Amino acid sequence: MIIENFNHKMAAHCESGTITSLLNHGGLNITEPMVFGIASGIFFGYFHKMKSFAFPTFIVRNKPGQMRINIEKRLGVRFKTYDFKDPVKGQQTLDLLLHQNRPTAAQVDFFYMDYVPSWERVHINVHFLVVAGKENNRYIISDAYFPKMVELDAVSLEKGRFAAGNMSPKGFIFHLDKLPSEIDYHKAITKGIKKACFYMLSIPIPFLGIKGMRMFAKKVVEWPQFARDTEHLSHEIMKINILLEDQGTGGAGFRFMYATFLQQAAAMISKPELKELSGELMEIGDGWREISLFSARIGKNRDLGPAKLKQLSEMIYDRADVEERFFKSLSRVIK
Amino acid sequence: MKEQEGFVDYPDQQMILYVEKDDGKYGPMQTGSYLSANYMEDYIYKRRNLEMGLREQLINGSISPVKYYMVLVDLSLSELAARTKIRKSRVNKHLEPKHFGSATTAELTKYAAVFNIPVANLFQVVLVKNDGNFESNLILENKGGKISVDHKPTGSPYIVLTKIEERP
Repeated sequence: MIIENFNHKMAAHCESGTITSLLNHGGLNITEPMVFGIASGIFFGYFHKMKSFAFPTFIVRNKPGQMRINIEKRLGVRFKTYDFKDPVKGQQTLDLLLHQNRPTAAQVDFFYMDYVPSWERVHINVHFLVVAGKENNRYIISDAYFPKMVELDAVSLEKGRFAAGNMSPKGFIFHLDKLPSEIDYHKAITKGIKKACFYMLSIPIPFLGIKGMRMFAKKVVEWPQFARDTEHLSHEIMKINILLEDQGTGGAGFRFMYATFLQQAAAMISKPELKELSGELMEIGDGWREISLFSARIGKNRDLGPAKLKQLSEMIYDRADVEERFFKSLSRVIK
Repeated sequence: MKEQEGFVDYPDQQMILYVEKDDGKYGPMQTGSYLSANYMEDYIYKRRNLEMGLREQLINGSISPVKYYMVLVDLSLSELAARTKIRKSRVNKHLEPKHFGSATTAELTKYAAVFNIPVANLFQVVLVKNDGNFESNLILENKGGKISVDHKPTGSPYIVLTKIEERP
């Protein structure tokens, strides 16, 4: 069976796409950028030496799972959440919810999603998808990264839901429980933007927000010392492109999607200054896109000497400077 | 980014990009991955070299099968320990060939689950002849070689049925 009237739609990002999908199915007409913006999804964090990662890395969105929590608080919607110790109970509950005709979001390790080509699969415990039905022993999956719905066998879904490790899903699932009768979008948008500005400008942790960008710029020149060889360094440098573009960001490390949110928000709460800022952020995103393309090019050419890494570092410093100015302006506008 | 600048023709990996439309509005566009469209061959080239290098170390006894797979799937020591729920110091020992033999069957089963391989593959590397050369199946499946190798799990956690056939 497939849940009645469930419409699969591709989205830029798995978590914002999943939440949007559940809200749309429940009858709330809201876009993915609006969900992302209200949830203060835009972010930056750099991790130079972290035990969970085999190599320095960075993130461009807020903590996984936080978007749902922020959306609940700010829109007044309610999601019912479940986690499990016992995989059997986890599967029984999921099946029951599907029988009740509820599309149910699940957190999984992306590595076990065997509908994904093997070369794309990595161990990451924070992939979100919607389970939209079950036929025999195969689940019907609405994964925002795929143009059509896909199938996944029960064993693989269980492996993904109950993978251990950093941010392990513990069988986590959620579904829409209740929509409010009215939503104060002005308040929700304002709160979402204020929090995003706080994260980018004022969070007192040296590797997060704009400070994190500068740390990334400073430390990227040290990456060769972590690499096994030139090909490994090339791979990691080219991953900058993946993290900014291919890993579900809507382009330029979510900057294009956040610009879209600001443009929609400007019209929604009649604040034309946000529209101007959305144009500015689109241009800032173009600069991030140049970093993506530059990283891919020098990685491919194995042109990874100190001069090129310094150039990359300067490009990142430049993004930190323009984003600091941008978020200060945004913060002033939304006060 | 303007809509026409963002479009990439690569049906194998589609994604959503937010772009500026002709009317000045920003919105989603379905497109192909720029990176995959332009750099997939380089990625496969590096994966193949990585696998061959690791396999050589595996064969000459400088690394254990656990290390071989840990590097291939890009896991840190801490993350592998967390995922297998085996003490980090013990995982560290199992990375060395001389201590790999002390791993219990239960521990090997946990490693295999994390690497998503049959336990048997911790004791063998499946090579397939492709264009005159033997290559690891792990790499060949990436680029759709002529031979498919399918490991079918059975009711026993230790037994796998490996089916080898020509692709249709």
